[in-house]
Formats: sequence, structure tokens, C-alpha cells
Amino acid sequence: MKAYIRGIGQISPQQTFAKDDFLDTVVGYNTNMLFCIDPVYKEFINPLQLRRMSRTLRMGVTAAKICLTDSGIEMPDAVITGTGFGCIEDTEKFLLAMLNNNEQQLTPTAFMQSTHNTISGQVAIMLKCKEYNSTYVNRGFSFETALLDSLMLIAEGNAHKILLGGFDENSVNLHVTTERLGHWKKEKINSLQLLESKTSGTISGEGATFFMLTDKEDVNNYALLKGLSTLYKPENEKEVEQHTIDFLKRNNLSAADIDLVVCGLNGDVRTDGVYYHLRDKLFAETAGAYFKHLCGDYYTSSAFALWLSANAIKKQVVPEAVRLGKSPAAALKNILIVNHYRDINYSFMLVSQC
Amino acid sequence: MDALIVKLKTQIIEQLNLEGVSPDDISPDDSLFGEGLGLDSIDALELIVLLEKNYGLKIENPADGKKIFATIRSIAEYITANGKA
Repeated sequence: MKAYIRGIGQISPQQTFAKDDFLDTVVGYNTNMLFCIDPVYKEFINPLQLRRMSRTLRMGVTAAKICLTDSGIEMPDAVITGTGFGCIEDTEKFLLAMLNNNEQQLTPTAFMQSTHNTISGQVAIMLKCKEYNSTYVNRGFSFETALLDSLMLIAEGNAHKILLGGFDENSVNLHVTTERLGHWKKEKINSLQLLESKTSGTISGEGATFFMLTDKEDVNNYALLKGLSTLYKPENEKEVEQHTIDFLKRNNLSAADIDLVVCGLNGDVRTDGVYYHLRDKLFAETAGAYFKHLCGDYYTSSAFALWLSANAIKKQVVPEAVRLGKSPAAALKNILIVNHYRDINYSFMLVSQC
Repeated sequence: MDALIVKLKTQIIEQLNLEGVSPDDISPDDSLFGEGLGLDSIDALELIVLLEKNYGLKIENPADGKKIFATIRSIAEYITANGKA
């Protein structure tokens, strides 16, 4: 299964909504909670619709619009999204209102927009797109499952151009709750020095990323997404290593064919070891890159990695801010993304030059 | 009445998240729905909750809603008539 990436749109804690800025300047945060940099939403969304939209809905719809414009495709055959928590702020809002008002005097807006499929629905309404529309909520596999569905639709010939999205929003309540579970670092760090912290926990983040996938070759395509694989709760690093070898083999490649490994290092000493294991065992001679110091960790952060990889392939550049270890090869032909969410959900994506 | 109208304008702008709209932009006699401010049925629900929550007024007969929510002034008159101003 494979698909070309024709267009991209992303809202993140970096200036990623500007097409010409490929992490030329990066923003560091002295906090363990990262939030997106907002574009001027009125430039993308009708003000009458905008006023009722929550933050994540604005992010998602705008990222989708940027992607559609970038791709030059006005009407997709399907809209598929993945999200771990959906529109969590609106969920918090109406639950809080229920508590505060003793289940009386509840307004409809937050409730309507609290469902996980709000964004895919809103995008479909905006486009008047009555085709296949689905949202996957599978924790750390949410984006991967949405991507898998997209690849299967394309492989079976049931769709030729698919608007695929991955999004999650951060919130104070969510951060504080998951902080108690030991997800985040106790000490405040500068996000750009994430890997120097050498402590447990990471930084929380958010983002909305959309891709236009197509089965058609085109000079404007960013990259070819050649493969996707997931691995749930591996027993040890050896199993991840073997899974990586098998994944590459299925795509007629070996570790030596990979020009760049984009990994999900997040500065958590408890779970980063597997990435260093893969580097030492398989990719000692390969350039590396990481990204969670730029966007934080969240269920669908692998979408950020795919955004990074597709842009790197198209522009043939690995931004300084994400480089790790060896300098990248002069020509980037194959990029392997290896990411895991809390050592539970492992995903592998292979992105190649068209 | 004038003070209530100003207060209502502020509450409606906040409740309906009317970004970029200030109280001075809304005339007390402007239509709230259709032409004028262009509110819709979801906004109507928000206004019903606003009246109940802030003024303790429940609209028992839905048919009255159209008349009550015609303009800011008509809402203010309804609140005053019910002794909740």
C-alpha cells in the first residue's frame, strides 16, 4: 500500500502554517506545556462560523484549508481524521457547566463541538463533501489508523484523493491530570533543550496536521508514503529492532538504504532508550532527526513527523533544528519515521522520493 | 432601561462570542435574527439560557420567543416587565 502526499497543512507550536518557512526559525518554550501558534484565523474561516468554533476546531479546519489550497484539490473523495482526545476543551467546558449549574441551563455549542469527529464533520460541511467521512480514536495509534484506512481505500481503488488529518489539543486540565500520572517532567525546562534534561517525563504538546493523499503521480507531490506498520507494547528493544528490519524488508529495503531516521525522542529517560538502541544496532551510519522538542508529545504527534519528513524529501533539506548525530546525506531518498507513544504504541512509516 | 440595554449588549456579545463586535455597534432596535445581527437558532438557545441564568426568567411558551428576542430593547422590556431588571 502506498500513496503520494500532494498537499500539507499544519498548525503547531512552530510557525508551520507558513509554507515558505520550513523550521528556519524555531520557537523555544520555558514551560512544559506547549500550545500552537495561531495564524490569523479570519483569513481562513468565515467570521460568522469562526465565532462559534473552539480552539481545536479553528486549528483543524485551518490546517485542512491550508492543505487543500496547497494540494490544488478542491474536493477530496474522503475525509479521514485521527485524534486521541478529540475536542477536549469543549468536553471540559460542558462537563464543568453541568457541574456548576447542577445539570440545568446548559448551552448547546460546547456539547455539539465536543465530539471527536467535529473537525472531520466541519470540514465536510465546509466543502459540501458527502463522501466517506471517518474519525479514528485509538490513543497513540489514532493517526496511524486513519492513515491505514486511507492507504487501504487508495489500494482498493475506492478513493483517489483523501484528506487525512491528525489532531490533538493541549489543555491545562489535561496536563495537570496526566502530570499526576508522571507523564510530564517535574522541572521546568527549555523545550529546545529537551534531550539534555536526562530526567523522567516529557513536555505536553498539540497540533493539527492535514495531508492530501493521492494515487496519482504529479510533479507537485511532496513524497511517496511507501509503508506503514504498527507495533503494540513490544516486550523489549530487540523486538522493536526486529520489527524495523522486517518492515524495511517488506519494502525491499535494508537499514543501509535509509538516508534519515526521524525518531520520536521526547527526553524521557525511561522510554528513549529504544531509539538509541536502534541507532546503535541498525543506523550507526545514518543521519538522525527528532521533533518533539518542537511540538511536544501528544497522541497524534507522528503526524508532525510525517509533515517533517515529507517536507525534507521535497525540499531536500533537513532543518538544523531537528538534526541529530551525523550530517544528512546529500540526497534524501528514503526517510524512516520511528515513533512511540509512552512505550505502548509504536509506529513506523517509510517516506520516499517520488 | 438604558443601563439594562448596555448590560444586555455586553452579556450577549460575551455569550455568543461575537468577536470584533462592540456594544456601540449594536443598536437596541436592530433585529437580532435574519437581517441585522444575523443570529441563528443555536444563538436563540444560548439567549434562552442567558435569560434563565442571569435573570431567572423561563420562557414557558415558545411562541413568545420570537417577540421577546426580536431586538435588544424587546428583551430589556421583557426583563423589566417581569420585575427582574
